[in-house]
Amino acid sequence: MSTQDTQSLTEDISGTSSEASPGKRGKPSLWNKSWPYLAAVGSLLVVWEIGALIENKPFILPDVVQTVPRFFQSFSDAEFMNGVWRSMYRLAVGYPVACLLGALLGLLAGVSRTFAVYLRSLISILQSIPPITWVPFLLLLLGFGDTVIIAVITIASFFPMALSVMNGTEGVNKTHLELARVFGANRMQLLTKVFGPESLPAFITGAQVSFGNAWRSLIASEMVGGASIGLGKYLSYHGEIADMKGVMISIIVIGGIAALLDHVVLERIKRKLLHYRYVSGSGGKK
Amino acid sequence: MQKLELKGVNKHFGDLLVLTNINLTIEEGEFAAIVGPSGCGKSTILRMLAGLEEASEGQVLANGQPITKPDPRRTLIFQEHALYPWRTVEQNVGFGMELAKEPKDERKKRIDEILEKVGLDGFQKYYPHQLSGGMRQRASIARALVLNPEVLLLDEPYGALDAITRLAMQNELIRLWRGTGKTVLLITHDIDEAVYLADSIYVMSPRPGHFIQTLHADMARPRNRNGQKFVELRQKIMDNLDIGSYSI
Ligand SMILES: Nc1ncnc2c1ncn2[C@@H]1O[C@H](COP(=O)(O)OP(=O)(O)O)[C@@H](O)[C@H]1O
Ligand SMILES: [Mg+2]
Repeated sequence: MSTQDTQSLTEDISGTSSEASPGKRGKPSLWNKSWPYLAAVGSLLVVWEIGALIENKPFILPDVVQTVPRFFQSFSDAEFMNGVWRSMYRLAVGYPVACLLGALLGLLAGVSRTFAVYLRSLISILQSIPPITWVPFLLLLLGFGDTVIIAVITIASFFPMALSVMNGTEGVNKTHLELARVFGANRMQLLTKVFGPESLPAFITGAQVSFGNAWRSLIASEMVGGASIGLGKYLSYHGEIADMKGVMISIIVIGGIAALLDHVVLERIKRKLLHYRYVSGSGGKK
Repeated sequence: MQKLELKGVNKHFGDLLVLTNINLTIEEGEFAAIVGPSGCGKSTILRMLAGLEEASEGQVLANGQPITKPDPRRTLIFQEHALYPWRTVEQNVGFGMELAKEPKDERKKRIDEILEKVGLDGFQKYYPHQLSGGMRQRASIARALVLNPEVLLLDEPYGALDAITRLAMQNELIRLWRGTGKTVLLITHDIDEAVYLADSIYVMSPRPGHFIQTLHADMARPRNRNGQKFVELRQKIMDNLDIGSYSI
């Protein structure tokens, strides 16, 4: 069905001009979608370049042009790449654990009022403590190794998930539940066909906020001595030996990985799962 | 098919007395309507018949049996359309059959049939937010009708629609209902809607709600909104609701 058919049919049927507005035709081009990102990256690079030119001391602040070759060399630099992979490994363990824990606690709080109050107070305490302050304590408790950092990630990033899920379950539309009951849903079906999809957006929002917390606390705890290898460790060590190019590429890679995971991977998953929200106008697929 | 009865029903929410001494009998295949001011307990009556709410005193019966829980044979069409925003039109309409675990191709067949009937053919893959208000309410009616229920409970189904769409939908409802033998109870605050559609009309008082009057609209369908009988009935209802005339 062409756009015009759809449009006129819409109007025929409702007998009034339809509220459904004609959506924009076609997908926005890759350029349309990505130029704001490129502009953001570009402006940071420009500030950096200008700063370096004014400072004019490459050993303190190397400029963009000097750093670019080092950036590409780093991909074959074992020390750097080991650090990157090690950090990614910790993230890959700590972040899902945090999401799972947060989701479970949030769901529990959705079921029990008392537990919700308990969880909210617990979170308000944890929220006020910078995650890296746990590092010395955890080092003594767990010993030197990945576990410490994974634990910090979990502490730092379970609560946005928990809060979001808690609010999400509170917000489940009562009419939606009653409707399912009228249509004969059993308890299990209420859970899977109404509670689940209805609170899915909350899970996804929670996961996105949690991701930011996880990544920042991961790098920070590596920097303050929670690990001997890792992207954060590489950064702090190369700062100490005054290798400013090493510091700059660490910063770039830290920002780059986060942006990639957040804006590309998580965003894709979100659009896939919440597909219905992104269908616009009356121009949905026929 | 089902006969619906309320016998001596009282209902309170905490200290708030909402319904008092409600007696109502709707015969099999009858189209009944309740009109009354906002907040008088109309939805509460409907929700009791749907099995979502219990009477504080008295009996709520279907074919003489107490109604204790929801049953897909008695479907409620909500005030707001209450379509699931994450489901397409066909997924929404097929919801009841999906819960009953009907096979997919059977589902598909019946969905397409009913969508055709309510004039939504071609909109299978649309999401609710892509539809106009009237189309959403049509989808919501299709969702109920596809289960071929014995009783249709409609809670101000057209309250949110513009006047023109509303009139069109009223005609469609009559078309869909005629000859099916379904028992219908329609809640409305639109007096004309009640007189145009229903066989019997119950007029309710403000809270605590009770029936002030029961009227029978013995008019052949389709009804003329300006016919003498229609106008008389309308006036009677307005008098009962104390809005028939005014003094300055
Ligand atoms: N679950 C409930 N808890 C407390 N009060 C309620 C509940 N449901 C309805 N009421 C009250 O009962 C009265 C009648 O409500 P309702 O049946 O929805 O009225 P109507 O549909 O006629 O507008 C209202 O005053 C409303 O606030
Ligand atoms: Mg109501």
